Amino acid sequence: MIKQELPELEEKSIYVIREAKLKFKKIAALWSMGKDSTTMLALTRKAFLGKVPFPVIHIDNSIDFPETYQFRQELADKWNLDLIVAKSEIKPDMVGSACCGKNKPEALKKVMAEYGFDALIVSIRRDEHGVRAKERYMSPRDKNWKWDYKNQVAELWDDYTSKLDTKGHVRVHPLLDWNEIDIWRYVRQERVPVNPLYFSRNGYRYRSLGCTHCTVPLKSNAKSVDDIIKELEVTKDEERGGRSMDKEREYAMLRLRALGYM
Amino acid sequence: MEVKNISLLGHKDHGKSTLIGSLLMQTGAATKVRIKEAEEYSTKLGKPFEPAFILDSFTEEREQEMTYDTTRAEIKYKDIALSLIDVPGHEELIKNMISGASYGEVALLLVSANKDEGIRDQTKRHLFISRMLGIDKLVVAVNKMDTVSYDEKRFDEIRDGLSGFIEKIGFRRSDVRYVPISAYNGENLVERSRFMKWYRAKPLIDEVYDFASRNEKQMESALRMIVQGVIPSESGELVVGRIISGRLHVSEAVKALPAGFSSKISEITVKGKRVRSAKMGENVAVKLAKSIKIEMRGSIISSAADAPKLTDSVKSKIFVTGRIGGRMSIKFNGSDIPCRAVKVLYGINPATGEEKSAKEVKPLDAVEAELLLSRKLPVERYKDTKELGRFVLYSGKEFVGIGTVV
Repeated sequence: MIKQELPELEEKSIYVIREAKLKFKKIAALWSMGKDSTTMLALTRKAFLGKVPFPVIHIDNSIDFPETYQFRQELADKWNLDLIVAKSEIKPDMVGSACCGKNKPEALKKVMAEYGFDALIVSIRRDEHGVRAKERYMSPRDKNWKWDYKNQVAELWDDYTSKLDTKGHVRVHPLLDWNEIDIWRYVRQERVPVNPLYFSRNGYRYRSLGCTHCTVPLKSNAKSVDDIIKELEVTKDEERGGRSMDKEREYAMLRLRALGYM
Repeated sequence: MEVKNISLLGHKDHGKSTLIGSLLMQTGAATKVRIKEAEEYSTKLGKPFEPAFILDSFTEEREQEMTYDTTRAEIKYKDIALSLIDVPGHEELIKNMISGASYGEVALLLVSANKDEGIRDQTKRHLFISRMLGIDKLVVAVNKMDTVSYDEKRFDEIRDGLSGFIEKIGFRRSDVRYVPISAYNGENLVERSRFMKWYRAKPLIDEVYDFASRNEKQMESALRMIVQGVIPSESGELVVGRIISGRLHVSEAVKALPAGFSSKISEITVKGKRVRSAKMGENVAVKLAKSIKIEMRGSIISSAADAPKLTDSVKSKIFVTGRIGGRMSIKFNGSDIPCRAVKVLYGINPATGEEKSAKEVKPLDAVEAELLLSRKLPVERYKDTKELGRFVLYSGKEFVGIGTVV
């Protein structure tokens, strides 16, 4: 996995996060308590002198891991986050796109409408999935939340100011250029707090975190951030290998994203 | 590791996605899952293995065998990473191509050697746009050499057919390389091909590497900072933005244009730390000595002694993607300013070289025109300060052109 220059990645992300905050009237960020969105918050604190100047939304289907809830509380207190919990309803047997493609977007839609958010920071990365690699830094969703990926707006140079459809909302992707290993190197460098589920227990760890229904741990002995970085230096497995919804059928991710999944 | 952006250009079906797929496999960068997925999909369509499927991820892309939007793939090579930006080659997708190519530093152009393909209008148009966007290093990969029995004469024919055009649009001869390859068979990509012993230079990836790893020395230049806006802080309002050239120092006398607001820098913060000075590429938060009375977003901060000139008349080169004329607006550093074209000096079809009058200009042509802006802006020539010399033109919500200031 390619390691990039962290100072450059940091500058780029800070620029995009500031641009988003200053461009849109009412912006929020999605926070799943995972490594990526927590890193995004750490970058936001750098951009805004120690503050996170917008609300963070957790889409909560009540079946996240106990560790995740605890981590949410601890960091929300420590970083003084304006946390919005968007409750999504879930039935016991619901898995995969029935939940992530429908339930979670529904809950998010409700919260977005209630607060009138016109932009949403989402911490996806290009290297996660081929479809995510097609995203732009700022990517409009129409009023039905559709992503018109065949007719994306021109995004030239680092001017993320192309005309956007105002009826829907805009997804902002400040971490698009980061690779998984860069996130972990940044976590190490900046001592970004992370969910303990990422570290190996009894020979298994979570490499990508979703909720309890759809995420399975992978075989790993990585017990520290250093171990994780070493593991990623040599792995040829995919990061989202433990996420069942990605495997359901071909193009699952494309369909999920078209439906509004993040 | 430093990442260098490589824009992949070329007519549709000349093999861009196949090339990336093959390079990902030959350099060991493709994950097992991606290769397996591509294998399964090739089998499903009843075809031999298609390396392009490693890359094209949209359903439609695989079914119609075309790339819809820009995508990236990263390849580690020696001490750097090459980030290959795959842009669509189809005419109707040219604005996506422009978005992708605008991130490039080196361009890699594919031209098919196949007798029925060869140099096409789109080949030349892509070259023209990339040069206009400031790309100055070019590797031309003459692809599908397997379909012409790896014939040296066909390679020479394509090289000679293109070199005149390439130099005419402003590439220096020493900044251009020609490499014969077969992306599908993986010939001459990472290892030298045994079918093309007549070719004596390096395989493709080394030629790209040589350009990409070359570090051009940055010239010491005047301070320019693009202002994104103002944020509150405990010590008062801070101006935030990015330094695009030069250096910024505490206690320096500065000016914000176009408003013409002058003040002194009293504090500079970079990534949360207080510093005495900041350099090009850094995002800063700056406290000014005077309280801010103007709209800061979209302003340019420079040193008071060396400020850019304000102008409302912009002579520019424009690549046309829609209808130029009537009431338009110019997107320039976050500002959105109404403008109109007062004079189209000449129009040209960059693919054929055919000259046109203002009336005959169509999308995919290029023009040189004078724009009149509804207010004065700090505009500079593209060759002096890239960020202050390039813009996007809109007519309503429609993207109608990209331009550079001459």
